[in-house]
Amino acid sequence: MDLKTISPLIPAARKVGDALVLALRGEIDLNSSPELRSEVLALMAKSTPKRIVFNLAGVPYMDSSALAVLVEAMQKMRKVGGKVHLTNLQPRVQGLIEIARLGTIFVIAKDEAEALK
Amino acid sequence: MGQRKPSRDTSRPAEPRHAAPRPAPAHAAPRGGLRLNVTSDPANLADVRHALEGFCLQNGLGQEAAADVGLCVNEAMANVTRHAYGGATDRPVLVTAHFDGSAVTIQVRDWGNGVNPAGVEPKQDPTAPGGLGLVCLRRLLDECVYTPQPDGMLLTMRKRRPAACKTA
Repeated sequence: MDLKTISPLIPAARKVGDALVLALRGEIDLNSSPELRSEVLALMAKSTPKRIVFNLAGVPYMDSSALAVLVEAMQKMRKVGGKVHLTNLQPRVQGLIEIARLGTIFVIAKDEAEALK
Repeated sequence: MGQRKPSRDTSRPAEPRHAAPRPAPAHAAPRGGLRLNVTSDPANLADVRHALEGFCLQNGLGQEAAADVGLCVNEAMANVTRHAYGGATDRPVLVTAHFDGSAVTIQVRDWGNGVNPAGVEPKQDPTAPGGLGLVCLRRLLDECVYTPQPDGMLLTMRKRRPAACKTA
């Protein structure tokens, strides 16, 4: 089921079973991360998922403020026994996750299909 | 975008937009360097990041090192906005860069509260909020030094050109 999104940072959102699948797009830094946070939290509240899958194929770059949005989503999911999956990591985003020692906090998957298995 | 695009001027000094004192000559980029006067508006982050990455690539640092510098400048400027300026987006930030043949040195000058981030303990819990910007600076740069100024802070970052790039 497709979900309506407002922000161009999330051009596509859909619910697949109990998973909320969000495709993100663009270089996301402190200028845009507040918008990302607002949209992600709104979609989470609306769809009450057990899992969130962030497809980051369209995100060549993010800074720590954007990563903090994903961490916040993960912490909210943990409270309900859920998980956050990250897919299609681009090299710079993968590098940031490694620096932040978050590689084992998120579930890293090659693509959406692997995350939704 | 913010009210002001970064101004790139490699030939003559420029004043920060607001009434901040003129930086001392030691902060000035030498001829051929990069000098960007911007406001603390996060809308300027992408342009400054891209300019620094381009400068690093022009000086042979390679994609990976240039990306490291871009991220670190982004994080340094974001910290200035959030912490030194308490979220204000209309304050001056001066970013300079120069290459000495073996490394790029970047300086970020602000006229904020002067709190030295160097005293912040590294975060132990990776999921704890905040502090990741400093982690990036400490891990990705060859040098990262905060020098308190009478009216703010000067951050000096240095990234060496990787050996593999020297013959490029």
